[in-house]
Amino acid sequence: MKPAGAMANSRVAEGRLGPLWTLLFRYGPPRWTEYVLKNWSGQRLVIAVPYLWLLIFFLIPFLIVLKISFAEFSPLGRPPYEPVFQWLEQGALQIKLLIGSYVYLFNEPLYVSSWLYSIQVAAFSTLLCLLLGYPMAYAIARSPPTIRNVFLMLVILPFWTSFLLRVYAWIGLLKNDGVINNVLMALGIINEPLTMMNTSFAVYIGIVYSYLPFMILPLYSNLEKHDLTLLEAASDLGASPVRAFTRITLPLSFPGIVAGSLLVFIPAVGEYVIPSLLGRTDQLMIAKLLSDEFFLNRDWPKASAVAIVMLLLLVVPIMLFQHFQNKELQAAKR
Amino acid sequence: MQTAERRADNKNLKPEPWRDPNAEGYVRIENITKKFGDFTAVNNVSLKIYKGEIFCLLGGSGCGKSTLLRMMAGFESPTSGSIFLDGQDMAGVPPYERPVNMMFQSYALFPHMTVEKNVAFGLEQEKGLAKSEIASRVADMLEVVKLTQFAVRKPHQLSGGQRQRVALARSLVKRPKLLLLDEPLGALDKKLREATQFELISIQEQLGVTFIVVTHDQEEAMTLATRIGVMNRGEIVQIGTPTEIYEFPQNKFVADFIGSVNMFEGSMIEDLPDRVRIKSDELGATIYVDHGISAAPGAVVYAAIRPEKINILRAPPADVSENCVKGVVQEIAYMGDVSIYLVKIDSGKIVRVTLPNVERLSDDERILWDETVWLSWHASSPVVVTQ
Repeated sequence: MKPAGAMANSRVAEGRLGPLWTLLFRYGPPRWTEYVLKNWSGQRLVIAVPYLWLLIFFLIPFLIVLKISFAEFSPLGRPPYEPVFQWLEQGALQIKLLIGSYVYLFNEPLYVSSWLYSIQVAAFSTLLCLLLGYPMAYAIARSPPTIRNVFLMLVILPFWTSFLLRVYAWIGLLKNDGVINNVLMALGIINEPLTMMNTSFAVYIGIVYSYLPFMILPLYSNLEKHDLTLLEAASDLGASPVRAFTRITLPLSFPGIVAGSLLVFIPAVGEYVIPSLLGRTDQLMIAKLLSDEFFLNRDWPKASAVAIVMLLLLVVPIMLFQHFQNKELQAAKR
Repeated sequence: MQTAERRADNKNLKPEPWRDPNAEGYVRIENITKKFGDFTAVNNVSLKIYKGEIFCLLGGSGCGKSTLLRMMAGFESPTSGSIFLDGQDMAGVPPYERPVNMMFQSYALFPHMTVEKNVAFGLEQEKGLAKSEIASRVADMLEVVKLTQFAVRKPHQLSGGQRQRVALARSLVKRPKLLLLDEPLGALDKKLREATQFELISIQEQLGVTFIVVTHDQEEAMTLATRIGVMNRGEIVQIGTPTEIYEFPQNKFVADFIGSVNMFEGSMIEDLPDRVRIKSDELGATIYVDHGISAAPGAVVYAAIRPEKINILRAPPADVSENCVKGVVQEIAYMGDVSIYLVKIDSGKIVRVTLPNVERLSDDERILWDETVWLSWHASSPVVVTQ
């Protein structure tokens, strides 16, 4: 029998910490499964599974990368590195963070220019995708329902072929003795082959080609939901079709524009395959630099630092994406 | 009620232009036909609507009333025929250039704009309107519909009734020559609908705009309209004031569609200019009508008697030879203000009778189920139609 006071104390603690307390101390690890099954609703379980997944396969590896980014370069090129936290003999905790890798990143022109180039390529590709994708999404959303699914299928169809193959195929089209140059020369439009391979132009083509569906699909799903009587109302109130588009359709499709743009921009910044195969050799994009740092220089701390900065740089647009997605969800609920 | 009285006064002051055969129609619809593929939505409709009217197009779903309205707004173009507004042919004029505005059934408010912006939208499309002018007209309009304090709200923050008023304000602020209203009160609950009907009439009088209202709700049409056009299968079957439509339906469809009615098939046995006798096997009695009708001799006619124009008696009246029939009460529905009795007459037909609950009666004073009763009506009550 426990004394009453101890019982009361444990109750208080339980109240404060709630389920976590119960889970950790009332049930021991062998009975955790039992506790979860007994006390958690189906909804909590469903949410917990992906969170657990992300915890194990994203957060923990991320913390390891974070730790490596603060370590010292070892000529061996591989872990183990010096630990960040260390108990000294005197019983003090030593935290050793070397920010050398980060300082290097921001001082080295190669990195800075790669960053800027990556962002420029991603931003411009996103803009091109938007300019191409918006009219396509609009046309699909306004086409008769029977052929709408055919159009959507055609947009998704390229995904059935390997991404790598499709990018390789562009080499065959773009290279100096490739299909495009041969046709143009045969037609007598040009006399000398155009240099298209290993240029920014080729990277834009590759990215726009590969990511266009990611722009079209969210835009389509937004535009398809529009209430067309709003356009009739605008027309009735004296707005020409162009005015009705700029005042009604465009602002209402803004969440779709943002979602599509982020879905293109985020992966485009870190794009590795397309610039490696089609892009410039004198100006690298950041993902290529990262892989070179890992696999050629074997400088894990610097590579990790690049990865961390890249992630932080992308977190801002991802959070924006979340924000607008929530907003659209709420609008849809009405 | 004040509104209704004022309106009655106005009616006395204003001549009813549709009585004058030479009066020019403000809106003239001439032989309009609209086909969608094989389906004829509107079939050869001609109409004259006069300035300042509230004209109701009344009919069931799919009768072509909305298509007719959409042709006036310019969203559909007629297959043949023409529409004139204030003397101007509307053919080929796109919706955004017509001096016509429409209030949509769904209201179609712009969800991303505030109430103020919604109302201002139409004015912003007009060339040469100063910002200050727009602002003052919007403010005035919001005053009229009593929404001034909601000016900066978004549509989803408003109640159904408030949204309806925003839609009305938005369509009126451009001072259109003609306002088209598609089921304007359809989305409101009953109480609010009744209040809004009178509000709508008072706003219409205040601004003097010509209204064309499309509705399937006959009560709404009765309250709002100066005249009603009843539509069926793409055609106008009768045009008249609410009283004319209800009391003097010209055909079976109108008699049946407006209100409820007991219809008895029969043939004429006496046909004089001032009185008619109809023998009806369906009724099992002779109907005497104290006014003449025009029908071919021997033709099949239908006598329509409204449920509220029939009396229920517990004892046979003095004269049972005409306009009287015996039956047994089958169902009673107590509606509060009136009670509906379904009486099975000797011929087997069920007759509907409504009686106002004038007094509070105890159970043994009231007519009850399975009681034998006599139904009778005044000779002026039946309306005789031929088709």
